[in-house]
Amino acid sequence: MEYELFSKDSQELACHSLALRENIPNLLPAKFDLKAAALECRFVASPSEYYSLLHEVTIKTAELQVSGALTPDQRVIQAVEALDDINENINSLSERLSEWYGIYFPESGLGGEALAIFVAYYGSPKNIGPENPLYPKTINSMGAKLETADELLLKGFAESVYSLYERKKQIEYYIEDRMRYISPNLKLIAGSILGARLISIAGSLEKLAAFPSSTIQVLGASKALFKHLRGRAPSPKHGIIYSHHLLNTAPWWVRGKIARALAGKLSIAARLDYYSGEIDPSLVEKLETKVRQIKASNPQPPQRMHVNETKNKKKGGSKCLK
Amino acid sequence: MPKVNKLYEGIYEVVKDKKQLATRNIDYGKVVYGEKLITFEGIEYRIWDPRRSKLGAMILKKFNIPIKEDFKILYLGAASGTTVSHVSDIVSDGAVYAVEFAPRSMRDLIGLASRRKNIYPILADARKPDSYAHLVESVDLIFQDVAQPNQVEIATRNAARFLKRTGYLLLSIKARSIDTVVNPIKIFTNELRKLEQTLEPKFEILCVKDLMPYHEDHLGVLAKLKS
Repeated sequence: MEYELFSKDSQELACHSLALRENIPNLLPAKFDLKAAALECRFVASPSEYYSLLHEVTIKTAELQVSGALTPDQRVIQAVEALDDINENINSLSERLSEWYGIYFPESGLGGEALAIFVAYYGSPKNIGPENPLYPKTINSMGAKLETADELLLKGFAESVYSLYERKKQIEYYIEDRMRYISPNLKLIAGSILGARLISIAGSLEKLAAFPSSTIQVLGASKALFKHLRGRAPSPKHGIIYSHHLLNTAPWWVRGKIARALAGKLSIAARLDYYSGEIDPSLVEKLETKVRQIKASNPQPPQRMHVNETKNKKKGGSKCLK
Repeated sequence: MPKVNKLYEGIYEVVKDKKQLATRNIDYGKVVYGEKLITFEGIEYRIWDPRRSKLGAMILKKFNIPIKEDFKILYLGAASGTTVSHVSDIVSDGAVYAVEFAPRSMRDLIGLASRRKNIYPILADARKPDSYAHLVESVDLIFQDVAQPNQVEIATRNAARFLKRTGYLLLSIKARSIDTVVNPIKIFTNELRKLEQTLEPKFEILCVKDLMPYHEDHLGVLAKLKS
């Protein structure tokens, strides 16, 4: 057998090892023994040298693969998961701020981001000038006196909350921007954030494109789905796609039908995005026509068959559960 | 004062307040996943939590694990290397070929392998043994923990390629990843039939037990090639 020896550089060998993965059956006989071959050709002097070289090469190869594994959809997944974490924190911190600041200025009527900006800027309500529309309310406020130490604390806290709101906008903008390239059709139908969430739950755009539309319909409702599969509950009608405006503004008796239509189009969009990348604006029109049809043919809530049965007391079927 | 009993080659039971499974730490002073270290007569032992490791559970369920310190092992489904680290302790003079498909887990595994000379990390799909055939030699034991619907088929395919005639196959079958609804006992019978009769090469089952109370709906199987 003719052969040529590679250099012992682990980086180079790792590249060879990766190249081999693609077409190994063509290159090597079935019971090929690399260790025996390496010893026979004097590529390595001893089994222990073979093992330490192999150790180096496998680590190098795996490192190359890991660093090459980051696809654009993985970046968006991290971003959308960070967005969810930030939202959760913003909610609880904003609530704390309004509770805390409420002691000193209950009449402000502000909440959320507006309150965070207000407190970060003014601190004590005493600092508001007459030009501010809230000024009259500070004069007869029933709020307690805000001492300097508390004011400093509150101001800093409000600044942090405000910066979270900023971060949230930044991430939303990033997702918006990236989704245009990664998944334009999904973005058209679902919007950037919902589209990104679908990719995140599926694990990647590739997996989302491989899912049947019935799976997309209940993504994010796995708990309800498995309860149903074990025969203890009705099937969930929608998962995370419930946040879509066509669905959450529709009357309850057509939501299941709309969810099915929406999931169908989402799955087509994901496949277009993954396999062709071309934008098809007609998808949205088709979906809207379909939704109009569904609503037109079901104008009334269905009649309850047996009013006395306890079963029918349940309204709207199962809710989506995470 | 702790007491140490040897259960199998490289696998110990440390008695300190209670009985705990352990292996001798070959990476002195280092902890892999937050486990406890106990030193006894100058030897450092790493406590092995059976609830976090199918292999650990199998040992406590009295599987007669045929493992020696110079064994070559093919480990399918290595994940972050929790169990792999203990296997690497046991086969201090052998090799663990650790196959894992998820890049995220591989990141941790590479960190582990760079500190332990006998772990060879392979980022590949265990369903395609051809793709790593050039790296792995014939092995004495295949351990599989992959949670795939066709995991038995994956195991036999790897066994056909890498297992020595005298080698053993150790499986952890997860009922819930084969079917979420069907009764686990039915699934297990079906999978065992595949292993013994349907698939090639055929196996002879030496020991089979569920992994309760450590893991729910899991079956541990020890098998060797039918002669």
